[in-house]
Amino acid sequence: MVKKEQLEFHNLKFHRYFNDIEKAAGDIESMLKSDYRLSKRTIALLLLQDDEEIKALVKKKEKSFDDIDSIIKKTRESCPEPLQYLIMLEHQGKVEKILREVVKNHEKEESSIEQWLDNITIRPLTGIPILLLVLYFGLYKFVGQFGAGTVVDFIEGNIFEAYVNPWINRLVVSLIPYKPVQELLALDYGIITLGIRYAVAIILPIVGTFFLVFSIIEDSGYLPRLALLVDRTFKVIGLNGRAVIPMTLGFGCDTMATLVSRTLETKRERIIATLLLALAIPCSAQLGVILALLSGRPYAMAVWVGFIFLVFLLIGYLSAKILPGERPDFYMEVPPLRIPKLNNVLEKTFSRMQWYFIEIVPMFILASVLIWFGKITGLFDFIMNALAPVMSSMGLPKKAAEAFLFGFFRRDYGAAGLYDLQKSGALNGVQMVVASATLTLFVPCIAQFSIMVKERGIKTALAIVGFIIPFAFISGIALNWMLNTLGVAL
Amino acid sequence: MDCCKSRKSIFSFLKKNFIDKKNEERSETKKHKLILVGTPNVGKSVIFNYLTGSYVTVSNYPGTTVEITRGTGKIGDEMYEVIDTPGMYSLIPITEEERVTRTLLLKEDPDLVIHVVDAKNLERMLPLTLQLKEAGLPLMLVVNMMDEAERLGRFVDIEKLGKILEIPVAATAAAINRGMAEFKRKVADYGKKRAA
Repeated sequence: MVKKEQLEFHNLKFHRYFNDIEKAAGDIESMLKSDYRLSKRTIALLLLQDDEEIKALVKKKEKSFDDIDSIIKKTRESCPEPLQYLIMLEHQGKVEKILREVVKNHEKEESSIEQWLDNITIRPLTGIPILLLVLYFGLYKFVGQFGAGTVVDFIEGNIFEAYVNPWINRLVVSLIPYKPVQELLALDYGIITLGIRYAVAIILPIVGTFFLVFSIIEDSGYLPRLALLVDRTFKVIGLNGRAVIPMTLGFGCDTMATLVSRTLETKRERIIATLLLALAIPCSAQLGVILALLSGRPYAMAVWVGFIFLVFLLIGYLSAKILPGERPDFYMEVPPLRIPKLNNVLEKTFSRMQWYFIEIVPMFILASVLIWFGKITGLFDFIMNALAPVMSSMGLPKKAAEAFLFGFFRRDYGAAGLYDLQKSGALNGVQMVVASATLTLFVPCIAQFSIMVKERGIKTALAIVGFIIPFAFISGIALNWMLNTLGVAL
Repeated sequence: MDCCKSRKSIFSFLKKNFIDKKNEERSETKKHKLILVGTPNVGKSVIFNYLTGSYVTVSNYPGTTVEITRGTGKIGDEMYEVIDTPGMYSLIPITEEERVTRTLLLKEDPDLVIHVVDAKNLERMLPLTLQLKEAGLPLMLVVNMMDEAERLGRFVDIEKLGKILEIPVAATAAAINRGMAEFKRKVADYGKKRAA
């Protein structure tokens, strides 16, 4: 073990400096008069290691801070290496001594299957095909076709449209004589017939299947390996492999992912990640609906994936160029691959679905109420008309504006609106791609926006949204123009 | 807002409600405070869930917990406030999450700090144990993922480790529930000793 010997060698060489540090720490200790919760020795060592927070604290509490500071400076000058490094070596040395006594290694090599799996998931040549397989079976087949197709069709068609909606409509119409109240509860945009139906029949099966797949992938330990795999690609966009975690989480829920972007090391990285999450990462519900929408047309799907991926790279690259700062190096723990346990996976899936459901239902109801309010006041039609030219420049029917309006409330709500539109046969292949792509880029939902404000500050959040809205529509127009010019039929 | 916050497990929801009610009058007397610390991805959240019967998201990648989570659980005969923290590598913080944990250690007055480590990577993790001990915190060490270490052919003499460090040490494989009851008993013992 070469590494170990080196450490010990260093220890011998530097140990005598540690005596200086030890003495300095002792001196400082005796000068600390206040109570710090942590021991005085620890405070002294932290001071020697240049810990700003502790320094500020001690400066406030001790009259003799200047004397302490001069000890720190003197010690630092007398040592050839940073004090933090020397102290770390000292601890490391102690630990090795302890471990020699308590650890018995019957060095077994990592089992060959595990090593093999490790290798093939990390190397680009095999890693990328594996990633594609995971995406194809996990996302496309299971979430897209089974969740968003089979299950949604069953709940939508066999339960809501066949029983719930007609029954609610009849009940509401016969009990309540006022048309506006009827429309609030039922009919085309009612709380029950639209809000609850979207939530239960379309969104829930999709996020349920997604969270199931995601939990399995998560528990298997595949994500950190994915991080290593894409580290190089991510460097181009000013992020390192560590950002894979917020990004993949974003495919589950961008709100949650924005929160997790806190684990990135620099402010610059956090801003880039927040922007990309808001712009180019569709959340699971949105993704599921779009997968279902385009699943009958593989080429349309390919164009959508390619376009979003391009936007992701382009905007990432540009923002990395514009925002100043260095690119931090990548360091991450790679946990072993594990076989996910059914119990854990189910518990996690349920807890996420529960959380998701609790969050979306009020939003869906609120959206229904607002749309209802907009309808009876004529505001809705006004906005729809105002959006009509934008829609037509993207080659979309006027009714598509509805989906974008819904998208303001939640990403998935907008996608669900699109799903409704497509079922009525109002869109052809190109239109569907353009609408899906624009909607994917379009505003983050209200929840995500509020987290953006909380994490990055109101100015950054507004700047990001102010960029995204026009950018989404311009991209839509460009994509439509491109597809039409090339004469692609999808 | 986010699912990482403590959310009660569906299964233990009723049970816990019941326990909470029963202990309401007693909780007026001061609850013991227990803080879980350690490097990311060593199993702090699994242990938190075990001690409190609530559910925080656990996963097999580092950095799932980005905020402090508080829960309550009964250990032995005492009620404990259990605090789960974002990962920390050393007492000197580098990222925001690490700062969160250290600030917590500076501000709170814990009755017990549990340092959770990965048995496979003791070399890298025990330095923090030494730092925490040096800081004079009431410390206990949990060597987790014993099963995975053993599969790699690595055996740790837990008793000896405890003697050298002069703190209680427990060996667990939290994900498969091994050694957890024993660990809980050690926490309860520690509480009793401190009280006496």
